[in-house]
Amino acid sequence: MGLFDMLARWLGVKKKEANVLVVGLDNSGKTTILNQLKPDDTKAHDIVPTVGFNVEKFATKSLSFTAFDMSGQGRYRNLWEHYYRECHGVIFVVDSSDKLRMVVAKDELDQLLQHPDVKNRRIPILFFANKMDMREAVSSVKCSSLMELELIRDKPWHICASNAMTGEGLHEGVEWLTDQIKDLVDKKK
Amino acid sequence: MMLKRDKKEEEDGGNPFNNLEKSSVLQEARIFNETPINPRRCGHILTKILYLINQGETIGATEATEAFFAMTKLFQSKDTTLRRLVYLGIKEMSKIANDVIIVTSSLMKDMTGKEDQFRGPSIRALCSITDHMMLQSIERYMKQAIVDKVSAVSSAALVSSLHLSHVSQEVTKRWVNEAQEAVNSDNMMVQYHALGLLYHIRKKDKLAVNKLVSKFSKHSLRSPYAYCLLIRIASKLIEEEDAGSESPMFDFIENCLRHKNEMVIYEAAHAIVNMKNTTAKDLAPAVSVLQLFCGSPKPTLRFAAVRTLNKVAMKHPAAVTACNLDLESLITDVNRSIATLAITTLLKTGNESSVDRLMKQISSFMSEISDEFKIVVVHAIRSLCAKFPRKHNVLMTFLSSMLRDEGGFDYKRAIVDCIITVIEENPEAKEAGLAHLCEFIEDCEHTVLATRILHLLGREGPRTPSPSKYIRFIYNRVILENAAVRAAAVSAIAKFGAHCDELLPSCVVLLERCQLDTDDEVRDRATFYVSILKQQQKSLNSAYILNGLQVSVVGLERAVHNYTLEPSETPFDLKSVPLATQTMTEQKTVTSRDTGDMGMTKTVDKPVASRVDVYAEQLSAVPELANLGPLFRSSQPVELTESETEYVVQCIKHTFSHYLVFQFDCTNTLNDQLLENVSVHMDGSDGFEVMKYINCSNLPYDKPGTTYTLVRLPEEPTSVTGTFTCTLKFIVKDCDPNTGEPDDEGYEDEYVLEDVEVNVADHVQKVIKANFGASWEEVGPENELEDTYALSSMSTLEEAVKNIIQYLGMQPCERSDKVPEGKSSHTLYLAGVFRGGHDALVRAKLALTDDSGVTMQLTVRSTDPNVSEVLATAIA
Repeated sequence: MGLFDMLARWLGVKKKEANVLVVGLDNSGKTTILNQLKPDDTKAHDIVPTVGFNVEKFATKSLSFTAFDMSGQGRYRNLWEHYYRECHGVIFVVDSSDKLRMVVAKDELDQLLQHPDVKNRRIPILFFANKMDMREAVSSVKCSSLMELELIRDKPWHICASNAMTGEGLHEGVEWLTDQIKDLVDKKK
Repeated sequence: MMLKRDKKEEEDGGNPFNNLEKSSVLQEARIFNETPINPRRCGHILTKILYLINQGETIGATEATEAFFAMTKLFQSKDTTLRRLVYLGIKEMSKIANDVIIVTSSLMKDMTGKEDQFRGPSIRALCSITDHMMLQSIERYMKQAIVDKVSAVSSAALVSSLHLSHVSQEVTKRWVNEAQEAVNSDNMMVQYHALGLLYHIRKKDKLAVNKLVSKFSKHSLRSPYAYCLLIRIASKLIEEEDAGSESPMFDFIENCLRHKNEMVIYEAAHAIVNMKNTTAKDLAPAVSVLQLFCGSPKPTLRFAAVRTLNKVAMKHPAAVTACNLDLESLITDVNRSIATLAITTLLKTGNESSVDRLMKQISSFMSEISDEFKIVVVHAIRSLCAKFPRKHNVLMTFLSSMLRDEGGFDYKRAIVDCIITVIEENPEAKEAGLAHLCEFIEDCEHTVLATRILHLLGREGPRTPSPSKYIRFIYNRVILENAAVRAAAVSAIAKFGAHCDELLPSCVVLLERCQLDTDDEVRDRATFYVSILKQQQKSLNSAYILNGLQVSVVGLERAVHNYTLEPSETPFDLKSVPLATQTMTEQKTVTSRDTGDMGMTKTVDKPVASRVDVYAEQLSAVPELANLGPLFRSSQPVELTESETEYVVQCIKHTFSHYLVFQFDCTNTLNDQLLENVSVHMDGSDGFEVMKYINCSNLPYDKPGTTYTLVRLPEEPTSVTGTFTCTLKFIVKDCDPNTGEPDDEGYEDEYVLEDVEVNVADHVQKVIKANFGASWEEVGPENELEDTYALSSMSTLEEAVKNIIQYLGMQPCERSDKVPEGKSSHTLYLAGVFRGGHDALVRAKLALTDDSGVTMQLTVRSTDPNVSEVLATAIA
């Protein structure tokens, strides 16, 4: 079995696996984004606020992802940290139409970056400036400056505007994340 | 590698999980965090954790939380076995780990998912982590799951709803319609579980339960389990209504005797034979069914039948006699448990002549059966002794030989209990019984039994014709045993000294030797007894040696503790301690643990807080009632309303030395009303003055609340009885039955309750005097009052004794509450303490006359003249 596995991997038949953590404030669209990324036959029809977390799987061309979709509600945010250690990447979803709570999102991001399990690792962070279709939405550039993303120097990051309802912008972001994680894995070898 | 190790462990023949260490297993659990997941290994480790938890290992909250979060990562695996283990893990850890709520969404996804294997277990796990607040959000999914067409899912949802109803009764009540639908399921288990849930939701509403039973007893259920449950519900209803065989429920149960499933037939027979009001005619079909089962080839059926017959034999020996032939054939059954039960049943139903034969048969295989069944045999012998007192010789010898055999503590205790009851009930057996017990303590490894027997010897021994022969056995204990037994032996010797003048000098010598003992307790007791015995005063002997301390242990502890917290100049007053409450049923346990001296007993089992102690604590928590002094007595609750009315009120009377506190426990059974400022207004008899009402600020639906009324007792010491009319006064606010949201406006209303009576018994506390004669002399004749009454309304002595005890509220001593059969006169001894701490003793000489019922000569002695007067006039 082991030999066969290795052969398969060498031939590139079997995809590599990666764990990503999906975080962000409540009602920012985390579960909707993942639902959009899942294969059509497993899509859920109605999205309800997540309590705790959910495990979802989806794949790109070269990686299969296991995503931990965390609950964004205030009283569950302190539970994110239990899942930091094993993740290969983080997807941070921001509601770009909610300027008022942008500071709260920034606060949560800072805490995440300062956590001992994240601080000294070069894990890639993908930001979705979600709900770009809303009228009061700010641009991704404005969003990154509001979040002071330029201060993150020791980790690769990327921000893209997205619309989780239509899927617009999601694939661009996930492609970037795939490349980053593959780079990371290759470097380790 | 792991496979190999497992195999090796199995070859060792042991349990592969035998020597697990908690910390190392929890360490191993870290591999749950690794990716990719290895389902086999993770499953193995999870099993270990489950094993540890089920073995009773305690896991701290931090450790558990860490393991729990590691476990949550296994949700990414698709392996069915592993995932189902995870559900089990969640259920087990839901009570010990923090933040278990984290898996809510994952479980909700699984319970609505496609994989049926995941759906049932995930529902069960979800319900174990769901609290009051989250329940609303899963309600929709639970309703769907209850009516799911997959039976495992439906069953899981129904059973979980039952568990959830402890969290919130209100929410599960809303699932009635779904449960109703599930009852019609074709699946046996689903039907059973649905019926269980329906019953649970309605069980407070008797009418609805009645409807439920009559509905389902007509339209036939498929599931035998559901049938069994229905039979149980029906028999409970019959019991609550106190109905007999005329009830329609009874017809249903009787019909079940002809069901095709054996389980249902047995359940029905079991229900019928256990009912209270049954005639021989009602019992006959049930007993004949059990008789049939006795001949069944299935051992389980034979066992069930014979066990049930065994239990019934006490109540209805005549009905069981019909089965005697079948039982005889079961004596030789290969299954020893069946054989034992058969023999003991025969013992209960048989006549005097068969006893010898059956005893011989039992002793042939006594060594082959387990302790549990030996205890059954002992109980059978005990009832035999009561039935055939003349056979005590045979039975006593048998018991003593059993006592010498090997056996566990429970077995030995059963035998000792049995011998003690025989001694108490049959004076002829006393000497033989005491001799057997003496022999037993010579070689007894159970301290509790030894101390108990020594206490008994101390009580009964001095009154036998030759007390001196027991001293040797008792003194041997002083030389050979551990400290607790030695202390008990010292107390026993002191009782001989106090009671028998001719033994006094030698007892003092023995006790003086005990003063050199190595143990403090033994020395203290010996010193104490020697100095009392040397006074040679009857009253001292009676108060401090023969009759023990009468206070409640818990109360004494609290009083002494308070005294040490606030030391004062006045010495500690023992009268301020609440008395031990001794009802008839508790009497036995109390005497077994009260070894009869200053409450410093080391052999006491755990002292239980009595009712009075609990109430004292409750009352002292109310600031207005905190300064009334020590609580003297609390009465049994009295219902002041019918049980089916809008408001249900119970009254408990608390007596203090100068006050009465009436505690009203009220329940509001109207779900569209909220009551506020609830109080009970009392209109009293002369002299009683209502001091204060303490309101219950609000009384929502179905939540009991308490209000108090404080009344001062009359100055005149002899006026103690009275009647109060009571009115419940309150402010009503209408509210929405579903949400409980009240209107702002309320209006005043009142509700008339039944009257409360205060009688003599409320002022008297029962106290047991082990040696009534000594106490009678101790109190002395100064305040003696005597009078003769004709109790024309009583036709038997038993009835008279019962009424006198109830009316005076005092404790019968020397077993004088039991009237020997066929006697026309009897003397009743009663002891008690009157409010204020005055000892009171009553001697009632009763005689049965042909024409005018019972004549009574009542003699009252007390330390206070007023008390004597109150008690002497109480009967008139």
